Amino acid sequence: MKSTIALSSIIFTVGILSIPMVWSDNDFRWEKIGNKSSALATTTNPVYKEECGSCHMAYPPGLLPAKSWNKLMSELEHHFEDNAELDVQTAQSISQYLLTNSAEQTHSRDAVKFFQSIESSQTPIRISDIPYFKHEHDEIPQRMVIKNPEVKSFSQCNACHAEAEQGYFNEHEVNIPGFGQWDD
Amino acid sequence: MTHSSQIKVWDPLVIFFHWSLVSAFVIAYITEDDFLTIHSWAGYLILALLVIRIIWGFIGSHYARFSHFVYSRENIMQFLKDTLHFRAKRYLGHNPAGGAMVILLIISLLITSVSGIFLLGAEENAGPIAHWFVQAEGFWGNALEEVHEFFANFTLFLVLIHIAGVIVESLIHKENLVSSMLTGFKPEKTK
Amino acid sequence: MKNTILLITLLSSFITGFAQAETSTVKNLLTVYSTQGATTADAQQGKLLWQKTFPGKGEFVDRSCTNCHTDDLTQTGKHIKTNKPIKPMSPSVNPQRLTSVKKINKWFKRNCKWTMGRECTAQEKADILVYIENESKF
Repeated sequence: MKSTIALSSIIFTVGILSIPMVWSDNDFRWEKIGNKSSALATTTNPVYKEECGSCHMAYPPGLLPAKSWNKLMSELEHHFEDNAELDVQTAQSISQYLLTNSAEQTHSRDAVKFFQSIESSQTPIRISDIPYFKHEHDEIPQRMVIKNPEVKSFSQCNACHAEAEQGYFNEHEVNIPGFGQWDD
Repeated sequence: MTHSSQIKVWDPLVIFFHWSLVSAFVIAYITEDDFLTIHSWAGYLILALLVIRIIWGFIGSHYARFSHFVYSRENIMQFLKDTLHFRAKRYLGHNPAGGAMVILLIISLLITSVSGIFLLGAEENAGPIAHWFVQAEGFWGNALEEVHEFFANFTLFLVLIHIAGVIVESLIHKENLVSSMLTGFKPEKTK
Repeated sequence: MKNTILLITLLSSFITGFAQAETSTVKNLLTVYSTQGATTADAQQGKLLWQKTFPGKGEFVDRSCTNCHTDDLTQTGKHIKTNKPIKPMSPSVNPQRLTSVKKINKWFKRNCKWTMGRECTAQEKADILVYIENESKF
């Protein structure tokens, strides 16, 4: 190498930029920094996954604020025109998981944006009603979602976002069934 | 290693600055917002490097000073014309076009990194000025994103022209400019 | 003609009797239901209940077990709203069915209330249970 200075400056730069990878204050650092930094936490609670993923995808808790989760859990008998009742113990265990990981508790970029777009007077129970959600999906034509028999509704995140349950909604990894990859 | 009549043109700080900037820009460009933490750190590093270089441009070594390589518009245009006719004079430090490129790159990189800091605050509620954007409307985020993306790509565009210019100069005057930016040395005379 | 029908009925009940080998989960529940007022569990009645349509509110005006589970218990069903696939109900195809009392209780509560607007009676639950359990052997 013709120049120690040049070499050391490159090493220096790469060195400095690897600091955030090794020195970070949360458990999701590899997912967030080494992998996909916008990710919400992977839905890990097995009870939640089983009970709340039996009819639809188990939505990452970071997508709704605590007040919304509370409302949902108190209305399980009338859960979007279905009955999702649970026994008291299971319901409590799930509520605790949801409230500990709700939007205001999560520091991931997406969760913060979801939370901040909700007005303090509103308690949305549909994730797809949240202003930030609508903003992110406002360019998608009806024929690709609502009129698409393979998708039908914006509630079916994992129809187009393959790793939705792991919390990854990267805009470069959207594949709409019947239409292919979505180019933002 | 030193042949006869080799002149030390680029001082260690310039060499360090140049190659750190190259690495940091490449990393920033590749990581985008998929690896936001590394991307932001790369941006902060670039900003710090720019500040150092600008200061050095006023108090540094002879060839590093802006006063040495910033030429008038006529000079720059004349130089470019001469280059096209293969009769441009060879400069030890930055030639007029090269000098102009330095200035353009510094400006473009400054706008890119500063808009990046603002964008981080507006869209991600992160970084040193996040608190300015607590109540901000979505408009700012979108506008800043456009500015940041445009200047990032404009910088890349400048980089490509810069590389082309380095190649052209090296060929015309038969010297290895890349090697010179690595060692700091240039032969006193060429051709 | 009357004799033929009688013969066929006798034979079917005989065969059905043989076919009614119950798992312990189902046995436990049937015992519970009988203390709650159910008489002998009847798979035929269970089948009829399964296929019956009940009036509903909102988006789903005609409600039936078959909406999501289809009328063939060996087939994969589909949630009427979310399209999520529902594994077959028949233990002959899906051995995990009818192995958890907790699960059976949970789904009876939810789905009877959704379909019929009320909880199923002990008799209805007993009938449905044996219908599901023995479906493939019909």
